[in-house]
Parts: sequence; C-alpha cells; structure tokens
Amino acid sequence: MTLVTDILQTALPASTSVALAASGEMLNERAGTLNLGLEGVVSLGAVSAFIVGTNTTNPFLALAVGTIVGAVAGAAFATAAVLVRANQVLTGLALAVGGVGLANQLGNGRQGALLISRFEPVEIPLLSDIPVVGQALFDQDPVVYFAFGVLPVALWFVLFHTRHGLNLRAVGENPAAADAVGVNVSGMRFAYATIGAALAGAGGAHLVLGYTQNWSIGVVSGAGWVSLAVVIFAAWRPFLVVLGALLFGAMTSLGFVAQARDWNVPSYVLAMLPYIVTLVLILIPAGLAGFGRRLRGSAAPGSLAIPYFREDR
Amino acid sequence: MTTADTPPLQASAGRSWRLARRSGVTSRQTAMARIAGVLGALIIAGVILALSGRNAPSLLGKALDGTFGERQGLEEMGLLLTPILMNALAVHIPLRMKLWNIGSEGQFFMGAWAAAGVGIYWGGPRYVVLVVMALAGMAGGAMWILVPALARARWQVNEIITTLLLNFIAIQWVAWFSFDLWRDRAAAVVQSTPVVQARLPFFPGSSTLYVGIFVPLVIAAATFVVFRSTRWGYEVDVIGGNPRAAAFAGIRVTRRIVAVMLISGAIAGLSGMLHLAGPAQRLNSSISNNYGLSGFIVAALAGSSVVGIVVGAVFIASMLHAGITLQSDGLSVYVVAAVYGLVLVGIAIGEVAARFRVVRSGDLDAAGAR
Repeated sequence: MTLVTDILQTALPASTSVALAASGEMLNERAGTLNLGLEGVVSLGAVSAFIVGTNTTNPFLALAVGTIVGAVAGAAFATAAVLVRANQVLTGLALAVGGVGLANQLGNGRQGALLISRFEPVEIPLLSDIPVVGQALFDQDPVVYFAFGVLPVALWFVLFHTRHGLNLRAVGENPAAADAVGVNVSGMRFAYATIGAALAGAGGAHLVLGYTQNWSIGVVSGAGWVSLAVVIFAAWRPFLVVLGALLFGAMTSLGFVAQARDWNVPSYVLAMLPYIVTLVLILIPAGLAGFGRRLRGSAAPGSLAIPYFREDR
Repeated sequence: MTTADTPPLQASAGRSWRLARRSGVTSRQTAMARIAGVLGALIIAGVILALSGRNAPSLLGKALDGTFGERQGLEEMGLLLTPILMNALAVHIPLRMKLWNIGSEGQFFMGAWAAAGVGIYWGGPRYVVLVVMALAGMAGGAMWILVPALARARWQVNEIITTLLLNFIAIQWVAWFSFDLWRDRAAAVVQSTPVVQARLPFFPGSSTLYVGIFVPLVIAAATFVVFRSTRWGYEVDVIGGNPRAAAFAGIRVTRRIVAVMLISGAIAGLSGMLHLAGPAQRLNSSISNNYGLSGFIVAALAGSSVVGIVVGAVFIASMLHAGITLQSDGLSVYVVAAVYGLVLVGIAIGEVAARFRVVRSGDLDAAGAR
C-alpha cells in the first residue's frame, strides 16, 4: 500500500468524531450559540456508548444512546445559555469541565472492560476498486460515510437552499430582525444547541465504537476543543468543516504510520502534531484576513455568543 | 427598556409576581448573586451525593475538620493555595479585558520545564539558582502565550481555543523531556527527571509549606494597587469596558493586549517554577493537579475583584483539599471536576439573576420609575 492510502485509511475513522462534533457546533454557532462545552459532550457520548457497548453487540444501539446523551447535555446547556440567557462562555466551560469530570467518574470503574459492539467496515463495490484512494475511502464503517458524505451535503442544502436555513442563519446574524419577522429566536437556538450537541455525542460514541474500540481516562483528549478550532478554520461552511476534520485526522494517522514504518521521530512529537496543525489551521485564515483585509468579516455569525434579550433591541 | 414585555412569573390568589429588570446592577448585588449561585450548586451536589447513598453532612463535617481543624490540614491547604492563587491571578488579569486565558495549565508546565532545565543542569549557589529558575519560569510561561497573544491582538483570533490547544502540546512536550530527554537514568523506577537540587525554604515553623505562598500574595497586592491607582491599570480596565472607545481615546489597545497576556503567562509560568522548586522537586507530566482549571474557576467566581480572587482561591483550595481528604471515603477527583462544572453554571445563572428582581404587579409602576 502507498503512504497516502495508509494515512487516509486511518485518518477517516480517527477524525469522524471531530467531523460530527464540528458539524454540530457549526450548526449551533450558525444560530448564534457558542457551545464551548463540546469536549464535555463528546466525553459523555463516548463513555455512555462504551457502557452500552460492553453490554450489547449492537453498535447502532450504543451510538443511539451516545447521541441521546449528547442531546440531553445540549438541552441542559441550552436551558442555561438560551432560555436563562446566562453567559455562554461560562456556561460552555462549565459543561466542558463538568462533562469531562462526570464522564471520567462514570467510566472510571469500567476501564479495561471488553467492548463487544463495534462498527465494522462495509466495502462499497466498484468505488473501492479505484486505485490509491478506493480502499481508503470506500472500505469504512457506515458512520464514516454519514459524517463525511451524507451530513455535509444535507447541512449545505438545509443551510443555504431552504427557507428554514435562511431563518436559522438570520437568528445567528441578527436575532432582532429574525424576531421581527416572526422567527422564534429562543426556540431556534434551543433546538440547534440540542441538535449540535447530539451530533457531538454521536461523535464521542463513534470515537469509542469505531476508532479506539476501547475506553480509558483521557480517550477523548481534546477532540471537542479541536472541533471548535475546526469550525473557525472552516469559516462556518459544511464542506470545509469535514475537510478540516480530515486534516486533523491525517496528522493523527501520520503518527501511527510513522511508528509502523519505524521513522525516527519521537512519539511525543507525533502526539503533538495534530494540535500543532490545528493551531496553524486557525491562524492561517486569520492571518490572511489580517494581511489581505478581504476575507475579514465574512466568517463568524454576527451575533455569535451574544444572548438575545428582546427588551434590549 | 420596558419591563412590560416580561411574562408573568406566576399568578396566585389574584396577585401576579413578575420579573422586572433592574436599571443598574451594583457590584454588591452581583457578588451576592454569585455567592448564592455557588451555594445553590453546592447544595445540588450535596443532594446528588446524598441520593447516591453518601452521607453529605457527615462528609462536609469531615472535610471541614480535615482542612481547618488542625495545623497540618491548613498547611496542606496552603500548599494547594499557592498554585491555585497564582493561576487565578494569571486568568484574572486578562479577564479584566474580557480575554480568557484557558491555557494557564500549559504555561504552568512550560514554566516548570524551563525552571527544571536550569535547576537540573546548573549547580550554582542555591539562592542564585532559585532566582534564575524563577526568571526562566516566567520566560517559559510568557513564551507559551506569545502566539495566542499576538494572534488575538493583531488578528482577533479567539484566545480561548489557541491557549487551550497549547495545553495539549505543553503536556506532550514535558512528557518528552521528563520521560526521555532529561529522564533520571540512575533511578530506573522513577518516570521523571532527576531531583532539582535548589529548593525553596520552608515557611517559618513548617515542614510542609514553602515560602512560595508569599509570592501570589505579593502579586495579588500588586495587582490590586496597579488596577486601583495607576494609569496603565485604568487603561486596561477601559479596554475591558469598550475596546473601540479605548482606541478612540488614544489607548494603544494592541500593545496593552499583548502586554497583559504576556504578564498572565509569566505569572502562570512562575507558579510552575514555585511548584517544582517546592513540593514537586522532579519534573513530570503529572505535576499539576489541574491547577490551571482551579485557577480559572476562582477567576470566574471573583469577577473583577482582586480581594474576591484571594477569598475564592482559599475557598477552592479548601474544596480541593477536602476532595483529597475524602478520597478515602470513595470520592474520586472526577467528582470534584463535576462539582466545579455545577459551580460555574451556578455563577453564570447568578449573574443573570442579579439583573432581575421579583416584583408584585401592583409595584410595577414604582419599579419602572426607579
């Protein structure tokens, strides 16, 4: 196998959690809610899918539970951040801290338990025969196809080609204007904060069921934070979100390839690589915008992280 | 602003109670609301613990007795207070400009790393080595926040995410040096660097607590003075209030942002050095007991008050010490993290609640007239 095939093969499952979580976060940020607690949601999704996955052989059931747990965490966040209109930075960080703590507490006694439900690759005929990338792209598990294929197309269509998507973006850009034409701002924000977190929970579930196939303290190791960075890199666009996730995955995968091929690079440096690349990814577009002054202002939703009080408009 | 848009809270016996917005919120009201939020969160945590079959009041009694009931407990609490207060100040100072340094943990590690490099490889006179270690620690921490500071000041890149991503890199960096490059080859069992010879003196009359506890107290006092009575501190607070207005008033916003963030990183780095030259002695990737996180919680709790930072740090250090004391009762450190989360939500909700008051419908005109 070629190097590209090797890297891509692992990059996709390694970054499916980030692709799902970042797509979800892009949705709720488009509606104006910043959920900094993504790391906590991904952790809760991962640990609950692991607990279910050690008891049943059906990975879809474990995935569903992880998704529901993510949605519940998102609804709790949205209750404080959207309905009570509490500071989104504080509430989000609370979810990050508390979610990771709760997930570790739930999983702590179960470390080393055998996961009996896993996602298996499903080879797509014909497409998987394409040289170099065929095996890497089209011999993956169903969640990978969903995260990198179905989801971005669906999000792109809904966001940019439906009236509902227009309303959703309006709520994120200018909630007072959306409110004036009869869009339910709080309802929209609450719904998308919940849906976004549900996707992050699904991401955590896939991390355990389709990638690590195990759970231990620290297994999530920043997938949620990386997802937040990927959304910024992608300038809130669905296809760029999954591309950014894939770049992160490629760096993670490069670490394994390097070890397997006995490249003489310290494992610590390889472990840093995904975070360094993520950091560079969010600095580059910002830097270009800073120099070129052309891209600036195009990206972030206008009312991101600003609670909407109708009385203030 | 009108109060009439707010829906009635509840109606009973012909009288309706409703929430009305206060036209202005005093710092006292905010402080009370924050404290109420924290207490509410702790009560909820206690109820959850009680529901899971633990005797919450007895745990609380044990925790209080273990921390404040004896000198040893107080000294151990002081040992936790040193890094927590340092990290809280590191988060507090940029927070006055509404900038969140979530990377103080990483800066703590890089400060400890830089100080360890000096301490391991240079056997000069003890106090000279300690001073150079402190300078190295500050430089290490400041270096680690340089990129987020410049990116924030020049390109408006969200500092929360950049500082946080650097935490993951710092931990791997320290792991690399302590488990590999600088590893103590003589002691095969130890997964860390050799012992740093230059150690801080003990606190007078103690064999647990180090004089390092004075450093955050001095920095807290200096912070108080700078923001109360210097032009520089005033300008930073003006930027926190309204960066555009500050720029129009001729304040060099970009420079202030970079300077404040570098100071923040240096304080976090110095706290890493104090921890290494005090209780830790050897560098490894687990020398921080989530001090960055605890410091962050304190800063969120205290708002813009330096006195609040000191009080909050004592509170959180006591809670953490209680958590450690209670581990023999089957409470893990992860529960403490989960409780931190609840406390933060309590603070956030308390802040919103402070902006409202409950009025009876008959009183509404009076409320509106205020």
